[in-house]
Amino acid sequence: MDREALAYRISEILLNRLRPEPPRAVVEAVVADLVRLLERQPAGPEPAAPPPRLAVLTVLGRNRKGIVHAFSEVLAEHGVDIVDINQTLVHGNFAMMMVVDPSGADVDLAGLKALLKPRAEALGVGVFLQYEDLLRAVNRV
Amino acid sequence: MTSSYTQREILETLRMAELEHFDVRTVTMGISLLDCAHEDPREAARRVYEKLTRHAAALPRTVGEVADSFGIRVANRRIAVSPVALVATRPEPESYLAIAREIDRAAAEMGFDFVGGYSALVHAGFTRADEALLASVPAALSATARLCSSVNAGSSRTGLNMDAVLKVARLLKETAYLTREQGSIGCAKFVVFANAVEDNPFMAGAFHGVGLPEVVIHVGVSGPGVVCEAIRRAGPCDLRELAEVVKRASFKITRVGELIGREVASRLQLPFGVVDLSLAPTPVLGDSVGEVLEAMGLERTGACGSTAALALLTDAVKKGGAMATSAVGGLSGAFIPVSEDAAMIAAVEEGVLSLEKLEAMTSVCSVGLDMVAVPGDTPEETLAGFIADELMIGVVNHKTTAVRVIPAHGKRVGEKVSFGGLLGDAPVQALRTLSCSGFVRRGGQIPAPVTALRN
Repeated sequence: MDREALAYRISEILLNRLRPEPPRAVVEAVVADLVRLLERQPAGPEPAAPPPRLAVLTVLGRNRKGIVHAFSEVLAEHGVDIVDINQTLVHGNFAMMMVVDPSGADVDLAGLKALLKPRAEALGVGVFLQYEDLLRAVNRV
Repeated sequence: MTSSYTQREILETLRMAELEHFDVRTVTMGISLLDCAHEDPREAARRVYEKLTRHAAALPRTVGEVADSFGIRVANRRIAVSPVALVATRPEPESYLAIAREIDRAAAEMGFDFVGGYSALVHAGFTRADEALLASVPAALSATARLCSSVNAGSSRTGLNMDAVLKVARLLKETAYLTREQGSIGCAKFVVFANAVEDNPFMAGAFHGVGLPEVVIHVGVSGPGVVCEAIRRAGPCDLRELAEVVKRASFKITRVGELIGREVASRLQLPFGVVDLSLAPTPVLGDSVGEVLEAMGLERTGACGSTAALALLTDAVKKGGAMATSAVGGLSGAFIPVSEDAAMIAAVEEGVLSLEKLEAMTSVCSVGLDMVAVPGDTPEETLAGFIADELMIGVVNHKTTAVRVIPAHGKRVGEKVSFGGLLGDAPVQALRTLSCSGFVRRGGQIPAPVTALRN
């Protein structure tokens, strides 16, 4: 409903409901106030921002000192938020899984991968970085 | 938290992608060429080239980026075009040959290995354009490297066009001769169908059907390796449990395929078409449907029980896939191309997988007699009878069947033709030499089965 139609509709309601009939000038002033008030309100609920697209970083290899640090350092340097972190040791083999939010990062996913790779090579471990959608698609009905 | 995956889930997904030969077999862009029609064939060919390069040039790079961001390999990027016989132009073989050359040139320039759709749909007869295109197929397949051709010669609604089957047998012999220096490879790029589907993303039979949108993205999943590993891990379970194991693996494979396809389509701002849920082997060890059958408990593919095992496999793949996506299409099942499957090649070479057993198996798989080589001196009537047998299995059972046969010029039973790459090596197999000429030479149409009257 546009502004004029809305004002007309509100005026009609007031004139019908209020008895004895109020002076038209008062009704018009009240309606003008109401319309101004409504216009300052947002039209509807703010559209929710789409949830950030998360990614999963997995590091696999023989356990040694500094693995978590090596990778989290790169993430911190480039503005990648760690949402969840989980690590496990099985017979000296190390598996670290991080869910990260790269939406505020200064590099894209391919760029981030390229930055993580030399760290993995230096430590002799494998690193994998994938959008989280893949895990959801494969593991959730 | 939405992201709470267990360690097992994360590691299993990684294992599937990294260790079990899992890939998305193909992302195929379907492109309509119907608006490229022009009475001057040179102008029609120019329009075809222009339209292909306008739409498909961005596909390889986009697919590469998407694959990388999910850590999933995508083996092939392909194009399927409208059946070229429907691109109206002067109905002469040279006209279609000109279009074939431009398709091949566009594909080469954009880096595609195959384009499907040099096709004619002749299940109930020929138009002048169909006849012109069919006459040009041997020249087109020998003059191009990337063009794939197909013919639909039968359907459950119309029966089988035996005249088309005879024409196909003749063109196969001619193509085999023209490409004799490369093991008659031209025939590996040609397939004859009954009940061809309009949205098949796999080569050589892909074409873009007339009921589809202007441009569309389809995906063909693969993953015999993933299914095979799942069966091996399941150990000695009973057959109902085995079907469950296959269904679960198929579910995962399909979900990945759909994810990749939808992402590619969305980045290119195109509609997403279908996921073809086919187990498609490659000659690589560990990527074989024959190996899956052997993991199920057969000594070799071709043993008694092969048809039953394949039926269970095909059905479970469909059920798992149908749960994973609502966009099932294409051929969807299991492929058993001999030359492209290491375990099948081994079974043929050991003499345990005959063409007759293979034919029986095709009645429960999704395609047909695929990538089989027969002696080069096979008479065209025998070839026609061989094709007609397979196609009638499809016509009567309301399913797609197809034949991709290579009458390898100058080769005898026991020799081998090598195509290299995905097409693999085909041992030349024995075909019955008894004559069927009196039957196939009658020509005409085998009527549709009574089950076609469904309305």
